[in-house]
Amino acid sequence: MTVGELDAGRLRGALAGEGLDLETGPFVTRIRSTLDSVRRGLQTLYADFPAAEGSGFADFHVRVAASGGVRRWFRPQARFFVDGRSIFKPLARHQAFPMLEWGLNWCVAGYAHHYVMFHAAVVAKRGRAALLAAPPGAGKSTLCAALVSRGWRLLSDETALLDPETGLVHGMARPVSLKNESIDAVRAFAPDAFISPPCRDTVKGAVAHMRPPADSVARMREPARPAWLIFPRFEPGAATRLSFRDKGSAFMRLVTQSFNYAALGRTAFERTADLLERSRTYDFVYSRLDDAVETLGRIEPPAR
Amino acid sequence: MNRRPADPLSAVLAQPRLLAGLDLAGWDVVVRRARETALLGAVAHLARESVGWDAVPERPRRHLSGARRVARGNALALAWELECLEEPLSRLDAAPVLLKGAAYVAAGLPNAAGRIANDVDLLFPRDRLPRVESLLGWKGWVSSHLDAYDQRYYRRWMHELPPMRHARRGSTLDIHHNIVPETFAVHPDPARLLEQAVPVPGWPAYRVLCPAHMVLHAAAHLFSETEWDLALRDLYDIHCLAGCFAARDGEQFWLHLLEEAEALDLGRLLFYALRHAARRFATPVPDEAAARLRLAGPGPLRLAVLDAAFDGGFRPRAASSTGGRDAVARGVLFLRGHWLKMPPWLLARHLFHKAILARAKDRDGE
Repeated sequence: MTVGELDAGRLRGALAGEGLDLETGPFVTRIRSTLDSVRRGLQTLYADFPAAEGSGFADFHVRVAASGGVRRWFRPQARFFVDGRSIFKPLARHQAFPMLEWGLNWCVAGYAHHYVMFHAAVVAKRGRAALLAAPPGAGKSTLCAALVSRGWRLLSDETALLDPETGLVHGMARPVSLKNESIDAVRAFAPDAFISPPCRDTVKGAVAHMRPPADSVARMREPARPAWLIFPRFEPGAATRLSFRDKGSAFMRLVTQSFNYAALGRTAFERTADLLERSRTYDFVYSRLDDAVETLGRIEPPAR
Repeated sequence: MNRRPADPLSAVLAQPRLLAGLDLAGWDVVVRRARETALLGAVAHLARESVGWDAVPERPRRHLSGARRVARGNALALAWELECLEEPLSRLDAAPVLLKGAAYVAAGLPNAAGRIANDVDLLFPRDRLPRVESLLGWKGWVSSHLDAYDQRYYRRWMHELPPMRHARRGSTLDIHHNIVPETFAVHPDPARLLEQAVPVPGWPAYRVLCPAHMVLHAAAHLFSETEWDLALRDLYDIHCLAGCFAARDGEQFWLHLLEEAEALDLGRLLFYALRHAARRFATPVPDEAAARLRLAGPGPLRLAVLDAAFDGGFRPRAASSTGGRDAVARGVLFLRGHWLKMPPWLLARHLFHKAILARAKDRDGE
């Protein structure tokens, strides 16, 4: 059963009751919420994801709820709970769905220590993965959205999950988060993609989400072998520029983008070094999305 | 009277073999509660030791394996930090005493497996503190609270210096001269702790508290707390330590423990600690010891109220059906903790400063 196949009544019932078990790649999240915007967001953006009424084991337990008291009516707010604990400051009610997305990222970054985690988008082609590692604002999600609307498979727009046992990268195929100008840029580049109506005035400005390609969702349990590590940077008006970066500095840079490098100690060091050894490492400057996609479409994978 | 409150996490910590019988819904509650109380590493360790990794279904097992890796990384980092500290601290006339997490790891005690320690705690004689601070200063350790009020708060009223932070490594160090605040309701004599401290095999530069004092410190720390988020973990420490020392030293351990509890004026806190460890984890306390400790305990009415508060404080929030009641219990424990920590006039002065003066200063700084 997928979210889209559940009728509105059952979906609402699950969210209001025991919770909806939403499967995203290696994780099951039990979501509870009585807010309509949350249900609508799930229905449209997660339509192709497997879901079930909550039971058994879930990796994360979250709830998005309306604030009580006077905030129920006056400047209404939404709050986000993980295992009954509120982890963010309340936000304006209309931001409930983006709040769920941020909350899910928080759960993964805080709890999925069975992976070495990097703040990176991951896309794959023919089983080989490209990690696009960059701090927020560097244009990583925009580039990711462009690539997945031109045949690359989406693994993640936010978090690369490196399995320390296998050296493979897992993703969740969750919706791609777009901010401000990049919403229109992706709309123009991929007119067929479904992009949710922007949610304005968040801490990150206007935020919208792109529904992941159905094929990426169907294959979300499939990991990929890392082949390229790319540090992208959007620079207005710049010509597309792909240049090699030496592996030593790539290593140091990637480590600054990890959520749990220090916590995992030696495991993280060894697995990150393996990843670097087996990948080609690049800096990538872009401004025009079609040039960028074409350039990255031509890069060759390293030998296995 | 010693009925154990129903909590699947406490149940499996008390009897790890029960892990083999958990279904997925059972694992769901255990993993969430263990994660919340920083006991996931302990559960992972017990699962491997008692029922084997294969007895754990794959989904929960991933979380346990992650917790194991994090705990191993933490233990290595802690050992490295202790090695770095050996050199500057070796210039003192007596080996410093490791407390809490660092002591458990260095001494290889059973609760160290899977446990996370966020800082290194060390105990020194009070008159050595200036020298300690200066030795550490040369090695890059700096005091983290630079505000004059905070400095005075720590130095006059607390049992430790403001936490020190290593400028490059970012690790934190708590330098103690006692195990409870200066302003606390009872005053254990730190000289007694230092005199009876024992060497740690494999770590010649350090000592740890003797078994009785280690348990008493854990009890004093937990039952004087204002924050109860990790209370279950701290109670599990007490359970493991008492169990391990009793198995090793038998009656000697219990006799020494009771004697020291009386000498250090910590009988009542030890009474609460062992009572609740027994309620939750079935820690085997000999009848004689329990009877003698009961004399240090409070009257029946007060005990009933505090038992209810402590039970609420120990209950994890995840998958809880008593959330509202437990929040009230935590509120009571918060107030009780502050009451014990400071006499009311001092508390009022401290809160006044934090609420009015410190905030006004923050505003000016902006």
